[in-house]
Amino acid sequence: MEENTVLDVKNLKKYFMVKMGFLKSLLSKEQLYVRAVDGVSFRIGEREIFGLVGESGCGKTTTGRSILRLIEPTSGQVNFKGSDLIKLDPTEMRNMRRRLQIIFQDPYESLNPRMSIYDILAEPLQLQHIAEGPDEIIGLETKVLGEMGLVPPEEFLYRFPHELSGGQRQRVAVARAFIMTPEFVVADEPVSMLDASMRTEVVELILGMVQKLACAFLYITHDIALTRYICNRVGVMYLGQIVELGLTEDIVHHPHHPYTEALLAAVPVPDPTARRREIVIKGEVANPINPPPGCRFHPRCPYAKGRCGKEEPKLSPSGKGRTVACHFPLE
Amino acid sequence: MGLLDVENLTTYFDILRGEVKAVENISFTVEKGDAFGLAGESGCGKTTTALSILRLLPQNGKVISGEIHFEGKNLLEMNPEKYRKDIRWKKISVIFQGAMNSLNPVMTVGQQISEAILTHENLSKEEALDRAGKLLDLVGIGSERVERYAHELSGGMRQRAIIAMALSSNPSFIIADEPTTALDVIIEAQVLKVIKDLQKKLNIAMAVISHDLSMIAETCDRIGIMYAGKIVERGDIARIYKEPFHPYTKLLLGAFPSILGPIAKLSRISGFPPDLLSPPPGCRFHPRCPYAMDKCGKEDPQSIHIKGEDHFVACHLVE
Amino acid sequence: MMLRGYLLRRILTSIFILWVVITLNFVIFRVIHPVGDPSQLIIQPGFPPEAREMLREIWGLNQPLFPDQYGKYILNLLTWQYGYTFSTPPRPIGPEMAWRLRNTLILLGMGLIGTVAIGLPLGVLAGSRRGKKTDVLVMGAGLLTWGLPSFFLQLLFLLFFAYYSNVWFGFQLMPFGGVMSYPPPKNPIILVGDVLQHAAGPVITLILISFGSWALYARNMIIDALTEDFIVTAKAKGLRERDVLYKHAFRSILPPIATMIAMAIPGLVTGAIITESIFNWPGIGQWYIAALNTGNHPVTQAVLFNFAFLMIIANLLSDVLYGLLDPRIKVGVRR
Ligand SMILES: Nc1ncnc2c1ncn2[C@@H]1O[C@H](COP(=O)(O)OP(=O)(O)OP(=O)(O)O)[C@@H](O)[C@H]1O
Ligand SMILES: Nc1ncnc2c1ncn2[C@@H]1O[C@H](COP(=O)(O)OP(=O)(O)OP(=O)(O)O)[C@@H](O)[C@H]1O
Ligand code: SF4
Ligand SMILES: [Mg+2]
Ligand SMILES: [Mg+2]
Repeated sequence: MEENTVLDVKNLKKYFMVKMGFLKSLLSKEQLYVRAVDGVSFRIGEREIFGLVGESGCGKTTTGRSILRLIEPTSGQVNFKGSDLIKLDPTEMRNMRRRLQIIFQDPYESLNPRMSIYDILAEPLQLQHIAEGPDEIIGLETKVLGEMGLVPPEEFLYRFPHELSGGQRQRVAVARAFIMTPEFVVADEPVSMLDASMRTEVVELILGMVQKLACAFLYITHDIALTRYICNRVGVMYLGQIVELGLTEDIVHHPHHPYTEALLAAVPVPDPTARRREIVIKGEVANPINPPPGCRFHPRCPYAKGRCGKEEPKLSPSGKGRTVACHFPLE
Repeated sequence: MGLLDVENLTTYFDILRGEVKAVENISFTVEKGDAFGLAGESGCGKTTTALSILRLLPQNGKVISGEIHFEGKNLLEMNPEKYRKDIRWKKISVIFQGAMNSLNPVMTVGQQISEAILTHENLSKEEALDRAGKLLDLVGIGSERVERYAHELSGGMRQRAIIAMALSSNPSFIIADEPTTALDVIIEAQVLKVIKDLQKKLNIAMAVISHDLSMIAETCDRIGIMYAGKIVERGDIARIYKEPFHPYTKLLLGAFPSILGPIAKLSRISGFPPDLLSPPPGCRFHPRCPYAMDKCGKEDPQSIHIKGEDHFVACHLVE
Repeated sequence: MMLRGYLLRRILTSIFILWVVITLNFVIFRVIHPVGDPSQLIIQPGFPPEAREMLREIWGLNQPLFPDQYGKYILNLLTWQYGYTFSTPPRPIGPEMAWRLRNTLILLGMGLIGTVAIGLPLGVLAGSRRGKKTDVLVMGAGLLTWGLPSFFLQLLFLLFFAYYSNVWFGFQLMPFGGVMSYPPPKNPIILVGDVLQHAAGPVITLILISFGSWALYARNMIIDALTEDFIVTAKAKGLRERDVLYKHAFRSILPPIATMIAMAIPGLVTGAIITESIFNWPGIGQWYIAALNTGNHPVTQAVLFNFAFLMIIANLLSDVLYGLLDPRIKVGVRR
């Protein structure tokens, strides 16, 4: 995997300024920040699907968007095939856009309701001068719609998003990303709005396209059970940081970080005879403006000791291909 | 006869283009202290079933036929004022889908809980507020939060406040419509634990409505699987999850990934659920069913009782 | 502490805005567009120079614009005195402003209260009976009068209730204009009745032309509110329909309505100008028109100052009310 690394994210940070009232900002000396992403590092190889999992607000979306510079990261490196995306000037970045694509969670919002499917797919092609004439565009479009299982494609080209079901709309969103033959794709909860029976097909389409285009893929989700079917490796995020990273199956069966263990224990299982172990941790995620000192998880951690509240654990190797940020990793 | 008996309930909505056949001839029973799960995908009629029982259908919705018996009384024939006073909240309370919005943003949590109490009991305001505080203690968010507004609570706490409210007049039956959708897994687990513990402790019967078969598996003893307005299979949950008879149940269950065990292939169902304005004739699942036979497109399969078991299936394969 | 800080900030910004408005007011009428020296405008050519100088002295025109005239202008406004009219003889503006402002406020206040008191409940009623007869009736009536030009309705009123009622029934339901009869009745109770009778025409017409928009607004907000989950929950709790409607639905739309009420004041003020002219109601609107026509700048400035002051107070009030009514608002942050 080392030699064909496509994307190498190093110590990525994104702090959002907290907006304060005029008077309040006069009174307090300090500008406060939401530390949405606070030092995240990982690599993704060719044909690899890397998963970022974690609870709401832990910084998954912000990570994905900072990598693509849809929001400007505060600091860090994003090495993509030899160039650091963060350092590119606007023109270079614009040219880079074709190779980088994103799929959003909500197909209702990410597709312009006033554009036909033809226009939705043609727009990026024209912007990046990939195809110009209508014939060439239609050719590319019918091909990708066919690959997405929207058959016959001609029937879908001139429909509008509201004339499609949720599952079909999300396929159009996937098609829009892959029609550009990208080398790296971010998918932010691409199937969480779909019913279970329709998820499988969209997931399979994504898996197929990643293999076909040999691209790198970042899959963002809160559904850790589904990542087993999609991701080779996952990173578990908590309060803006990756606390554990490794092969999905290893992590799911033998979590080393107490947070991962708690997260897995909470996932419901579709089997009434296998009811969950009752280690439900207490409390809620802390405020990312003022994260707890030491290990950010320590106020909720059932294994925390004195050291945890004082010293911040660094991500360090813990077994084969696994890194964990914990002073007392589980065995 | 159970605590709640729904018999051949049919509910339609009138819209400009015609009649939405949202619920068609469904039957199920919930026993005292039982947790019944009503599962199915978006738009299959789960909420409509709940609203029919609660008699809270929107103006364009109407129960076309069927009976709903609760403690032996037919709810649909009860005088509206009597229903309001004797049944609502006092006997049947509800935790709605999208509970984030189930609290009035301009009233404190305590006001909203005590309001429910005062509607049904002759107490002073102070006594009602006091009880609201005790209920908040019970669900684990602390009585000191009675004077909080919804926006001052996290999603999980809001949901618990709503559970406290649902318990406020000691109902014997609670309908929980997607009680944990939109909550994170850990918070969901916390809330489900509160619900399960209290349900057992107070011996309350529940109908849990959800699209999430995993969540239902965690909470319920019995289940009804709905597809396009019909219950296609129902009965003991362990039995049905182990060996589903209906093709839809089989495929839907297979589409849920599990965190346990080896990775099995996820199943999928081709096509899309039908438009309920004009559902397909015969079995409503037949256009998507991999086992469909000639008969399936013509005859509506009747619900068949598997002998000696708590298990009913409506599929021509099982006849 | 939070509310106090918020209030303080809002008051400071309000004062700033007021200052901007009155300074613009000064700059426009005295610097950019002075209609010449008013002493030229209104003083007869044959006036002795000493008398002219005296007038200029009273008006402060013999001093430089900045800082003296401007300073005096500000000081006048702050003391609610406004100096003297550009007329011969010059009259002090303060006392006249006081009673005219009172008249305008009577008209606006009664008009606004009446409009809101009638429009809102009707709208809520219509919204709760969406599509039923009540709804159609209320909205039909509201839209009909809303669509009429106000002066047309007001002239019709004068025609029928002041003129024809007298011609046909020998009984004048409504006076032609003014605030009270002359001489005013001595008995205070009769005086109040007399003022009310004079105000009836303008107030009723004001209500008629504007209750429809309020009813429509309230109706649509109630219809939205009634689809909220917390409303269905309130019904499920067994509350009476009426309690669901007023304690939950209406209460939840109050914050934006309070803002709307305050935001309606500017429109009412301009509406009052026409209404005051038609009903010969001696308020500041009528005065403003007259002053504009004669280039009586101190008066126009004084009236504009009061308009601006009213609007800013209304705005401040609306924000504070919103904050008080909606617990989600804190320190002036609207979500
Ligand atoms: N534009 C913004 N301004 C300020 N704070 C922001 C902004 N966007 C996100 N945040 C904050 O940054 C943190 C991380 O948000 P992010 O959306 O990345 O989380 P997430 O893991 O994608 O959550 P979810 O599962 O809910 O999508 C949150 O605390 C969020 O409130
Ligand atoms: N007021 C209404 N008017 C017309 N059709 C309606 C109305 N309410 C619901 N429906 C339709 O009735 C069907 C059943 O809706 P219902 O809300 O009961 O589904 P559900 O199973 O609760 O779905 P979800 O999981 O999305 O909540 C759907 O097809 C829906 O579009
Ligand atoms: S009845 Fe026929 S179509 Fe329906 S589920 Fe059974 S086999 Fe499939
Ligand atoms: Mg996100
Ligand atoms: Mg529903």
